[in-house]
Amino acid sequence: MNLTKHWASVLDDYVIDLAWSPDGTQLAAASASGPVSIFKAHDGAKLHELPGHENGTNCLAWRPTNQKPEISIQKSAEPPLTSDLRPLTSGFTLATGGQDGKAKLWDTAAGQHTATAELGSAWVEHLDWRPDGSILAASAGRDLVFLNADASLRHRFKPAPKTLSAIAWQPKGGCLAAAYFGGVCLWDADDFIAQKEFAYGNGIHALVWSPDSKWLVSGNQDPSVHLWVPDTDLELNMSGYEGKVKELSYDHTSRWLATGGGKDACLWDCAGAGPEGRDPLMFPHDTKVCAVAFQHSHGVLASASQDGVLMLWSPERKQPLRATVKMPSPATKLCWSPNDEQLAIGSEKGAVYVLKCTD
Amino acid sequence: MSNDAPIPVTVLTGFLGAGKTTLLNRILTEQHGKKLAVIENEFGEVGVDNQLVIQSDEELFEMNNGCICCSVRGDLIRILGRLMKRKDRLDGILIETTGLADPGPVAQTFFTDDEMRAKFRIDGIITVVDTKHILQHLGDSPEAQKQIAFADVLILNKTDLVSPADLDRLEARIHKMNSAAKIIRAQNANVPLEAVLNVGGFNLSRATELNPAFLEPEYPFEWAGAYPLPIGTHELVIGHCHHDEHEHEEGHECTCGHDHAHGEHQHEEHAHDHDEGEAHDHDHCHHHHGNPDELDVVVMPVKSLDEKDLVTARDAAVLTFSDWENKVKDGDTLTPGGTLHRLLLKDGHGHYKLQIPHEGHFLVFEGCGEDPLHIHVAGDTVKPVWQKDFQHTHSHEDAVSSVGISEPGELDGKKLNDWIGKLLKEKGADIYRMKGVLAVRGSTKRLVFQGVHMLFDAKFDREWAGAPRTNTLVFIGKNLDRAALNESFKACLS
Repeated sequence: MNLTKHWASVLDDYVIDLAWSPDGTQLAAASASGPVSIFKAHDGAKLHELPGHENGTNCLAWRPTNQKPEISIQKSAEPPLTSDLRPLTSGFTLATGGQDGKAKLWDTAAGQHTATAELGSAWVEHLDWRPDGSILAASAGRDLVFLNADASLRHRFKPAPKTLSAIAWQPKGGCLAAAYFGGVCLWDADDFIAQKEFAYGNGIHALVWSPDSKWLVSGNQDPSVHLWVPDTDLELNMSGYEGKVKELSYDHTSRWLATGGGKDACLWDCAGAGPEGRDPLMFPHDTKVCAVAFQHSHGVLASASQDGVLMLWSPERKQPLRATVKMPSPATKLCWSPNDEQLAIGSEKGAVYVLKCTD
Repeated sequence: MSNDAPIPVTVLTGFLGAGKTTLLNRILTEQHGKKLAVIENEFGEVGVDNQLVIQSDEELFEMNNGCICCSVRGDLIRILGRLMKRKDRLDGILIETTGLADPGPVAQTFFTDDEMRAKFRIDGIITVVDTKHILQHLGDSPEAQKQIAFADVLILNKTDLVSPADLDRLEARIHKMNSAAKIIRAQNANVPLEAVLNVGGFNLSRATELNPAFLEPEYPFEWAGAYPLPIGTHELVIGHCHHDEHEHEEGHECTCGHDHAHGEHQHEEHAHDHDEGEAHDHDHCHHHHGNPDELDVVVMPVKSLDEKDLVTARDAAVLTFSDWENKVKDGDTLTPGGTLHRLLLKDGHGHYKLQIPHEGHFLVFEGCGEDPLHIHVAGDTVKPVWQKDFQHTHSHEDAVSSVGISEPGELDGKKLNDWIGKLLKEKGADIYRMKGVLAVRGSTKRLVFQGVHMLFDAKFDREWAGAPRTNTLVFIGKNLDRAALNESFKACLS
């Protein structure tokens, strides 16, 4: 497998969040200090630099649309003549959250700030769009809100017992999982009632659903990962990590759960009854793993470690390691383009790399 | 600039109104050229331009197992986690806590969380004490006691609002609770920055700066007096007797048989020496500790009143005090030598026979110095020709105290390990801080260690070289049993 540098750019500070537009034509990158840059996926040209949030931006999320991703990028070295003439895709909405306690919406085609939701004085730390794009869930401190697509308030939930540390929409869209120290609550998308509440007696740093909506997984302070099957109330706790687990990613088949929490990318086999009693696959790095990301509809896992090393793995191959590159600064975030052909990497020193990945 | 050294974190504790915010603002305004981030409690009022100030709500992560040693501060993990996400390194973090905060989970956060441990180091816990109001807090607030117990630096603030004598008493009391902390007096939090930043309170190598002078020797008895006695059986009386009430018309407020205010009265040399008469009047006015109807007494013959002989007798008494006690009922006989007599009193009174085998000087050691003690020879009261108060083994007022151990010799590594393991398992919740420098047999290097509750950090640092191999350690905690700690530690000597 070949990884080649497609383009790179530099933000003014730590790349705190990174995401591709639904059609894969734009890449949004938030700097920890505040500004949000919108790059053209094709050549890295900076389309806009949005001011983001005062005192710093924490997170960003593109509003999903039904538009199909651009199926393939140009295989030839020469860009097509028409590329610069083609009108930019319009109608994309980017949501950002920041330390000013606000969630903001932006029209990235125009580079315009379109709406603001003021959540309070606490940092807006988590944003997640319902997969159909109808609701933006946002959390700030102990508060959770559902916003409409125009940032107007749809529902404000009662404050959680402790600060909300992660939120994740169920891929089917029926509920939002919201985690805090002490448990996870599943909030119904339509009735705003708690469908289920799972107690967990420790800090939770991350949540992920398997794409088939069967498994809900938390990465924990204790350190462990905890798996729930909300439909049957089955719970599994997988421990043995060196440190707290903040990195989680599921492959598109819902079989492999990749986790950080140590010097290995640790993969649990969630097929059937789940990982209990099965040894995980351990893909080793030399230093602590700081990011993991599976492709959207293919099977390659990207994992990055504190020494700046990035590796690609195919879990089901006999020789799973597919490629290794080393970057000058550790990755903060790994993000596959919608067509899985490009990998965007944010770094601690502010660099944004886009690598092409070819067989 | 890239720099992977952990960022120092300074924790400011103290009750509301003690002067934390004043100190914080002082640090921020005086600290030129350093990029600091301040995490303040939500009622804080820090406002200094160009500094990063983050409000926090002190979110405690308490574990289901109920172990307080596992509690960490979730808000710090979250906020510091976000503060790490910047290209330019911060030079330091200041955490201001509310008056009700327990410093334990704050410190534990930097021990137990892998990321916090890698990116930050806790430099010191600075506790600001409002000298005017602290006494009332010490009485009714376990948090106030903990904040003093956890401190590396104690700032006695607002000293202009209390009298020098009160201040001395307060300092003595606080020093007894935490004998390892540096105590600084201040008005309006006017302390030099170097006294609060980079104090190295949790730095293993600097645990060796533990000043043995701070670890005043402490004894299992509080008072000793030397009596010249003839051969024969005399009367030892505890408590007030009607016939000698006149002795107490000397102006003492407290119901105490010893003559404290007189010139022959001596003290152990202290690092913090204060007006003796005053401090001791005070000490002896406390309520009786332990069982009020028991008094431990040891009577030791002493060759002469030379310092050397007194010390020999004192050390023999220390050993005897750790022995099994021999209960003595009213009217029974006690004898000099290596027996710990536990006198059983009735309403604080008791009459015993003291059998003296030969004429000479005898030292009488009292476990609690406030029980009036008299010796009658043929009906006459014998006055002590020498007497001395000793540093209390247990504090009268405060559940929190320090136990310092200073012991020459080498330790057996295995025994030491077992001892520490057992101690922390059983007493970890009550041990707030500990640090020390140890000599372990088989190693030419000093073993330095420190810990918070059950969390423990140890390493071999530099060579002993020519220095005498000795062990110095201090425990600060609640309801510490000094005798048991000393004894169990000594059992680790090889």
